[in-house]
Amino acid sequence: MQEEANIMGRYLRRRLLTAIPVFFGITILVFCMLNLAQGSILDLMGEGSGATDADRAALAASLGLDRPLPQRYLAWLGDLFRGDLGTSYANGKQVTDLIAQRVGPSLLLTGTGVVLAVAIALPLGVLAAWRPRSGWDRAASALSLVSFGVPGFFLCLAGIFLFSVTLGWLPAHGMYAAGRFAGLPDLLRHLILPAGVVCLSSVGELVKQTRAACLETLGEDYIRTARAKGLTDRAVMVRHAFRGSLIPVLTTILSHIPHILGGSVVVEQIFGWPGMGSLLFSGISGRDYAVVMGVTVVIALAVLLTNLLLDLVYGLVDPRVRYGKG
Amino acid sequence: MRRLIALLLAAALTLGLTACGGEEQAAEPVTVRYGLSNAWDSLMPYNSPSGSNYTRIICDKIYDRLAYVHADGTLDPRGATGWESADDGMAVLFHLDEKAAFHDGTPVTAQHWADTISLITDPNCPALGRGTFSVLAGTDSNGCALEGERLGVEAVDEYTLKLTFKSPTTPEDFLLDKNRELYVLPTHLLADTDPAEVMELDLWDAPVGSGPCKFVEEIPGSQLVLEVNQDYQLGCPDFDRLVVTVIDKSNLLPSLISGDLDYYAFGGNVSVEDAETARASGLEVAEGEVPNTFYELMLNCQTIPSAQVRRAIDLALDKEALCLQSTQGLGEPTATDVTPGAEYTCSLTWQRDVEGARTLLEQGGYDGRTYSLACTSNRSGLAALMQQELDEVGINVTIETVDSAALFSGMADGKYDMAIASHTPGALPLWFTASRLSESNNIFHIADLEPYTYYIDQISASAGWEKRQVLLDKLQELLADQRPFIPLWFGRTLHVQSPTVDNIDYPSSSFSNENIWAWRMKGA
Repeated sequence: MQEEANIMGRYLRRRLLTAIPVFFGITILVFCMLNLAQGSILDLMGEGSGATDADRAALAASLGLDRPLPQRYLAWLGDLFRGDLGTSYANGKQVTDLIAQRVGPSLLLTGTGVVLAVAIALPLGVLAAWRPRSGWDRAASALSLVSFGVPGFFLCLAGIFLFSVTLGWLPAHGMYAAGRFAGLPDLLRHLILPAGVVCLSSVGELVKQTRAACLETLGEDYIRTARAKGLTDRAVMVRHAFRGSLIPVLTTILSHIPHILGGSVVVEQIFGWPGMGSLLFSGISGRDYAVVMGVTVVIALAVLLTNLLLDLVYGLVDPRVRYGKG
Repeated sequence: MRRLIALLLAAALTLGLTACGGEEQAAEPVTVRYGLSNAWDSLMPYNSPSGSNYTRIICDKIYDRLAYVHADGTLDPRGATGWESADDGMAVLFHLDEKAAFHDGTPVTAQHWADTISLITDPNCPALGRGTFSVLAGTDSNGCALEGERLGVEAVDEYTLKLTFKSPTTPEDFLLDKNRELYVLPTHLLADTDPAEVMELDLWDAPVGSGPCKFVEEIPGSQLVLEVNQDYQLGCPDFDRLVVTVIDKSNLLPSLISGDLDYYAFGGNVSVEDAETARASGLEVAEGEVPNTFYELMLNCQTIPSAQVRRAIDLALDKEALCLQSTQGLGEPTATDVTPGAEYTCSLTWQRDVEGARTLLEQGGYDGRTYSLACTSNRSGLAALMQQELDEVGINVTIETVDSAALFSGMADGKYDMAIASHTPGALPLWFTASRLSESNNIFHIADLEPYTYYIDQISASAGWEKRQVLLDKLQELLADQRPFIPLWFGRTLHVQSPTVDNIDYPSSSFSNENIWAWRMKGA
């Protein structure tokens, strides 16, 4: 037992060490892509705004845009080590403050959507695998088809058209009716439509994974043994087949964590939801490199930690998984 | 089964809570929900990197300006009740409204306006967009105060502000040109602040202005909550709050139709197709009477050095078809940047001439090279049409679809040969040319700006319509001969009327001001 813990500890340390260069690789890549892309915030200084070359030069100097790219990256990295993600080029506010303000709404929106998706996908996937070609299976296929085949922006607009414009049941945008928290019912009403879109966008992959994993497990010898022992279909499905299928399903579920933190750009933008996705969108379109880099750091960390978490969870879920040497 | 029951109970609870929500909201203050498709940046009006209309339309609510500019160029009092020329046209006296006050109750005086201008023109102050003040005496071409020279701003008495200019300027010309960039700051709250540090103040996170709305709270780039200033000198609307939310363009009209939005910025402008949808949904749509967009094809005179080739491009384009494609009948092709319906005119006309274009191409020595045409994604159809028309006369063009930052950057650094751009037209004769045909913004890469700046300076320095009109005609002839850019058309707009708010002066939002103090809830 002790030896196993030591092996796992060594494995995790190794994974953490490999995560560090991956993290820096991501930041270098994003930093270079952003800074080498045509146009900067200086080009967005309105022509009719009275901005002169002197204004542009002053802004470039104050933002450090007049320095060579490697210097800028190292300066950004130095600030990052001090826990400072910099200030937004657009509004001069601390990026950490902006992220702190936006991460909650994103967690709420995407988290709700993904939880709903899991709640729908797991039972539906299991049922579809249990009774192939049944109504459940057909429903699972149809749901997957819609989820995979219909783009997110279309789902947003179709949802708005149906539930807001035509039926008038749900609000078409925003997080609160009057701009600030006015009770849970108001928040829920605003949450249903965008969270529904997030759910619908994620559910297809989850249903498909659950169904495929369950079908594969149902063909295993130990399932046949379980049936031979006289266990009911339900017991075989829940206790054996479902548990045996958890690894691919968990991988898919946990891979949504960065998505939850990073927000859904399209959904947040269309619904005017004040989350990380809309922050990222405005950062990119406004060439606000500080904001884009800040959000990138959060998402990159989330991806790396999720991968680590997956490694840990595998061992817990499936006793067959061992963290060997090398 | 138990899970199913739990789910049903949860659904019932949600519905129950939702039903309760209606009663709870009845006690809320009356709120007008205002949509914006792009975010503002800074709430400090002189520190906006974008200097965009989105920032201006927000600052318009929090801070006061001297006048209210209507879409047709007429002026109404706002921070100033009246204005007059002084010192033989070299200065303007603004008589300020004595009822105007900041949101903290401090009266707005001429000293506040004078101190604002002194602060922003201070070379140590890292203000953006102070080029606005370069027309004032005692400033350089960037709008910075010159050491040892008297700055052209003075508080004559408590409520009279005097601005002195470098060249004769009428109050109307000054306001039409500069009003939207001129705000009064609460300088009494900045008294001991070093100008170099003024932009760092926490004050701009919760700004105090003297405009028709007071700041309440903000999620930067996403949502802004404002409260109506009950003491605003021009009155106040009959609602309590204005909540500004940034929403994607695709959701603005649906939100208005579904009743989740009361109004959306820039006059609720819609395309012809969207106008049909709006009408079908029971909303009223009005057609703007004054042009509010001007389309041009920017040319790179360095990579297209021959004026004949540039004129050939002008003749090759079927502006009628392009205008129809873009405005669906709500625009007029043009041969000039002079805004139709304004005080100044231009007699130049335009007609497509394919043969003439071919001849000019030959004369200009066009070598068959392929030009790059940059456009934003929403204008790719327009660019394709242009490509087809230019191909007809033998000009090869490839289209590059980019965002606006890349477009302007690419034009500025000479990457693109042409680009499609649009602007909000002004009533002044130099609204377009003065800022684009200058050393500090030579976006058309003109080798010798002198012939243009000669006329621009002459027009700026001339007093009187007749003299200016003569000079303007000469400038337009020069532009037609050299064609550093191709004027395409002036477009008008369709405004979707708010289903809940009355008295909105829709077209005037093109000057980045809205008469929010006059807005009234329908049926109130």
